[in-house]
Amino acid sequence: MISSNAPCLVLVAQKWSDMKLYDYVLSGNCYKVRLLLHFLDIKCTLEPVDFYPGRAHKSPSFRRINPLEQLPVLELDDGKTRICDSQAILIYLAHKFDPSRHWFPVNEPEKLGCVVQWLTFANCITAASSRARLHDMLGYTCDITAARAHAHRAFRHLEDHLCHQEFNGINWLAGAQPTLADVACFPYTCLAGDGGIDIFIYPAIQRWLRRFATLPRFHPMPGINIR
Amino acid sequence: MNHTTKNIPTDPKNCLTDWVPVGLTNHIPRGAVVRAYIDQFDIAIWRGEDGFVRAWENRCPHRGMRLSYGFVQGNRLTCLYHGWTFGGDGICHLIPAHPDLTPPETIHTHIYPTCETGGLIWVALASMPAPAPVIKGAWTPCRSLHFVQQITLAALLADSGLSSTPLTEYAVCATRKNQTQAVLAIQPMGKHGMMVHCSIASCDHEAALHDTSRWLMTRRAKIEDTVPE
Ligand SMILES: N[C@@H](CCC(=O)N[C@@H](CS)C(=O)NCC(=O)O)C(=O)O
Ligand code: FES
Repeated sequence: MISSNAPCLVLVAQKWSDMKLYDYVLSGNCYKVRLLLHFLDIKCTLEPVDFYPGRAHKSPSFRRINPLEQLPVLELDDGKTRICDSQAILIYLAHKFDPSRHWFPVNEPEKLGCVVQWLTFANCITAASSRARLHDMLGYTCDITAARAHAHRAFRHLEDHLCHQEFNGINWLAGAQPTLADVACFPYTCLAGDGGIDIFIYPAIQRWLRRFATLPRFHPMPGINIR
Repeated sequence: MNHTTKNIPTDPKNCLTDWVPVGLTNHIPRGAVVRAYIDQFDIAIWRGEDGFVRAWENRCPHRGMRLSYGFVQGNRLTCLYHGWTFGGDGICHLIPAHPDLTPPETIHTHIYPTCETGGLIWVALASMPAPAPVIKGAWTPCRSLHFVQQITLAALLADSGLSSTPLTEYAVCATRKNQTQAVLAIQPMGKHGMMVHCSIASCDHEAALHDTSRWLMTRRAKIEDTVPE
């Protein structure tokens, strides 16, 4: 919901600004950003990076874009400023393009604390679930048993939290409406199966994933087939 | 006796005559399909628009794709892989690659009987199961928890301070001092551990849901800390 007309006009004006997202279609971290771009209806140029098999993120030219050799990277319309880390990009986009402040509730400190807590937690999910997925799908080496155990520890915590939210009639991680917390945690939870992590043992997580997939303007990525 | 020590024949028709709980009634809304294990048997469970729950072997008769990846439309389930579409009775009605063909009735999924009672969904693997359980009263689904190890109901309740009455081989009605009555049910899943499902007597406050969940989490922590993996 948009509270007044003025920010709405700003929104429309800014929605067409020319940003560039260094993107890989099978990356859950890039998908987080693409999800929010869709939810907020923001136009953005996608610059595909040949992550696999090309390993283009390790090339000298990409290293100039992100020395950490990671995707995603958002390049702002000045053509110079670049934001790395999917959570940071989500915060930038919500702050800049969502005048309703629902996705990132900067005016509600308690809620904001919760959202940021789950944004940080999204990195735990990613670290474990994405590592297992890279191992199973692209043959990366890692301690797969440890990665899956870490993922299960994170998912159990997420499951307990979502159960207790449901008891209070709350459908989302940080309140009655979806926030960046949900966007950040969704991809690698939904993709966990690709890394051999069974999530059918987490019923509240499955219910939350189904709710997420029914949000207006939701769109899936390859490997995600819930409806 | 620990459930794992049971000698389980590989043909489900010859084993477990009992009904096994596979989830809370609210876990599978109309149009949803989920995956569940009973011992080593992989099962797709879904609810049609008519409100009925179906449980099928999680294997498409075509090329073996998991049916739990499929999608429900009306009272039919369509396999994600090549779109074979099965009615609520398990019979294949449509093969998209041959739209004019009426598939022979011999093409069908392997179906298991289901029922709902006590706030839970139950499945029987045996083709000649015992009569379906009936748990009297109104029950509100609370939550399901995964346990890494598979233990018996007796072990789950041991030293817990609960008084309990058996309902089926897999479920009890349990009461804590001055607390809400609960149905506690276990779903053995072999190497996947087990699920504990819990519903509480209806007309209770949401505080009772939180309280019951906290109790279950404490129980789980205690059991997982003491039982070696
Ligand atoms: N914390 C970062 C992690 C990004 C990340 O790990 N991206 C993956 C692709 S999904 C990557 O580029 N991995 C290559 C590497 O770390 O060398 C974020 O959330 O954006
Ligand atoms: S495997 Fe199910 S339709 Fe082909």
